Amino acid sequence: MINLVFYFQVHQPYRIKNFSVLDIGKGKDCFDDELNAEVMRKVANKCYLPTNKLLLKLIDKYEGKFKVSFSITGTAIEQFRKYAPEVLYSFRDLAKTNCVEFLGETYYHSLSFLYDKNEFIDQVRMHRETIKKEFGFSPITFRNTELIYQDSLSDYIWEEEGFKVILTEGVDRILDWRSPLYTYKDWSKNLYMLLKFYSLSDDIAFRFSNKGWVEYPLTVDKFVKWILDLNLIEKGKKNLFLNLFMDYETFGEHQWEETGIFEFMHHLPGKALKSRNIEFAWPSDIIEKTNYQPESISFPEPVSWADMERDLSAWRENDMQYNALETFYDILSRVKASGNPELLEIARKLSTSDHFYYMSTKYFQDGDVHKYFSPYGSPETGYRNFMNAITDLEERI
Amino acid sequence: MKVLMFTWEFPPLISGGLGTACYGIVKGLLKKDVEVDLVLPTKEEVYFPLRKVTDVDDLPVKFISPSKEIEYSNTVFKTNTERFRYVGISSVPESYISVSEIQTFYEYFKNFTERFEYRTKVPFQEILNNIMGSESIFEKVKEFTLRAQRYAQTLEYDVIHAHDWLTYPAGIIAKTVSGRKLVCHMHATEFDRSGGAGDERIHKIEYSGMTEADSVIAVSRYTAEMVISRYQIDTGKINVVHNAHNIDIKNFEGRKRIFKDPVILFLGRITLQKGPDYFLEAARIILEKYPRVRFVMAGAGDMEKKIVHKSAKYRLKNRFLFTGFLNAAHVAEMFANSDIYVLSSVSEPFGIAPLEAMSYGLATIISKQSGVAEVIENAIKIDFWDVQLLADELIRLIEDPVARKELGEKGRHEVELIKWDKACEEIIKVYEKTIGRIEK
Repeated sequence: MINLVFYFQVHQPYRIKNFSVLDIGKGKDCFDDELNAEVMRKVANKCYLPTNKLLLKLIDKYEGKFKVSFSITGTAIEQFRKYAPEVLYSFRDLAKTNCVEFLGETYYHSLSFLYDKNEFIDQVRMHRETIKKEFGFSPITFRNTELIYQDSLSDYIWEEEGFKVILTEGVDRILDWRSPLYTYKDWSKNLYMLLKFYSLSDDIAFRFSNKGWVEYPLTVDKFVKWILDLNLIEKGKKNLFLNLFMDYETFGEHQWEETGIFEFMHHLPGKALKSRNIEFAWPSDIIEKTNYQPESISFPEPVSWADMERDLSAWRENDMQYNALETFYDILSRVKASGNPELLEIARKLSTSDHFYYMSTKYFQDGDVHKYFSPYGSPETGYRNFMNAITDLEERI
Repeated sequence: MKVLMFTWEFPPLISGGLGTACYGIVKGLLKKDVEVDLVLPTKEEVYFPLRKVTDVDDLPVKFISPSKEIEYSNTVFKTNTERFRYVGISSVPESYISVSEIQTFYEYFKNFTERFEYRTKVPFQEILNNIMGSESIFEKVKEFTLRAQRYAQTLEYDVIHAHDWLTYPAGIIAKTVSGRKLVCHMHATEFDRSGGAGDERIHKIEYSGMTEADSVIAVSRYTAEMVISRYQIDTGKINVVHNAHNIDIKNFEGRKRIFKDPVILFLGRITLQKGPDYFLEAARIILEKYPRVRFVMAGAGDMEKKIVHKSAKYRLKNRFLFTGFLNAAHVAEMFANSDIYVLSSVSEPFGIAPLEAMSYGLATIISKQSGVAEVIENAIKIDFWDVQLLADELIRLIEDPVARKELGEKGRHEVELIKWDKACEEIIKVYEKTIGRIEK
């Protein structure tokens, strides 16, 4: 039996506006409300609303056999409330079906795990409370920002009450000869681990509309056949889990409606469920469904799902990123010590990993995903605005 | 007396260093009843007949073509900006950008416009077109020069005054057509701008301009020496007229504050010529000992990226900040919010910015390789390359706020006297000497 585990990441950062040295100390808001509202409304119309509607329809149609999971960041939920409340309502409608699992993560989609463990735990708890309040769901499964993971993370999460499962990337250099289709346990053997099956995930998320791809166009028949082929590796009766993890914005935003992405998703559950060897599962279902003793797996070095390297280099590679991160976490600790809740909220919005992603110079010449996502003309502009914004914060302590 | 003046920049629409200087000169001349017909690189064939002091801001326009002049005088404009758009004044200072810089700039902005999804692309596209147009800067100079004959034949004047290489060819044409005398004003040579040898084509234009000129005005002895040694221009026709400044602060209230800590300012284009890397190296030395100081690098330029990366590499945290390009109002605000100004230029023909900084009461450190060093007493003068000395002097000023304030105050009083009126008296003398007539 192969279980399809869909997890969709829903996230929107608070983008920073052009923030000059001369804006420092004037009590100006450093976030670009106008742009953030515009992006939110655009993505709501292109992705969140139509995809939620589609999923709701599919869940109704298959009466509980089709299930998915979401990780929705606190900054996304706040911006739904502010700019597109109907999106929040439609997620609540999905929650009511009991066919949707909500995952836990840091409220601000931050890199705090790497710099400030107390802040990390604070943000995880904030997020848990928000998910409980908004959707009546207490997360059992944890995924860190951008699937960043290393051994010590599972120990922190294990100490937090309620978490039993953790997700990360199925990185080849860690897996080696092992398959990401099996359930694993972390190095301390506390948490169940699910690993992203990146080739099939990325076939949907990145390659779906790529006309230069040999498999283009990706049809439901082809995809389901690939899934069934995967099932052949298991000769016994062990349950397999095909972990399809991707940005939710894949639907309608990264892959436009015209590419047929909605049609694909529309027909996938029906076709898959026709086979007696395929079921849909939540990440937390693996606790029940894993019918063998999972192997423990160690991640001595940090991994993530970003870029080809699948490491931290998307956020922490060049000097600007290092200097910005080090300065930011220094200021954050002083903001916390000052006990000013207003400043802490701003600081936490600035902790969102996207700000450091915009500073990446990795492929800036070639035109790639970093550029696609960045609201700034150059990594240096992103850096300048960020440094000025955190300096404003520092001056207000 | 009436002057036909060619220049590439003039505020408020464009305001590089050349524009600032020309504004001061023209205003000073008008005050002394010298009339100026100003020619700028406009899209339309127009000139600006400046007769009274207020004209320097109002910029009245006249078309060369009578039919167009009628059309223009029948058009109603709500704002000056609208009127300037009608005659097509470029809004980017090109003369202070080297040819290679234009290319970098172009690529930079192109990148910008392509990536900006959620915002209107239009303003950026406009900037882009202004920088590059469909032609290079030489094409624009060519076009400007081709028109010179029309201006020279249509207008009446006693002397021709051309500022910097971009307008020298036009000056030569006007001189040939009218037989009037030509004064070429040297604000910056290609050697200064490029921080090295620069573009040979520009050297040739500079050489022929100064050779054809009846008089050459250099903005400093530093520049005059360069004109003599590098271009071998006849020393007899070279006149030194130092630049001045326009800042007039009636009720000086002292420092404003953005930052609690002392602010050390670099303000200018971030290019090799301005020595931004020496400023950065000094900051690195100081921040090791004194983390409670803010360095601000204000401006834009082709070395900006490099300095940003280097400052991050040195882990100067948020103690070394960048402003990006600043407009005139922001420049004023930046001065008012700083404590110490540093001019770290490798080669600065004059350097008006330190005068402006001083008029805001900033303690000022200037490179000895500058023209402004010749006219200023109350500033600390150092060799641009002596980073350790720059750091030591800055530390002294950081540690001793009283001495810092005193230097700033003395400097402020000193530059109050360095106004364009005096410089213009000298310019008028050059005109009179050149045309061989003494007027009262």
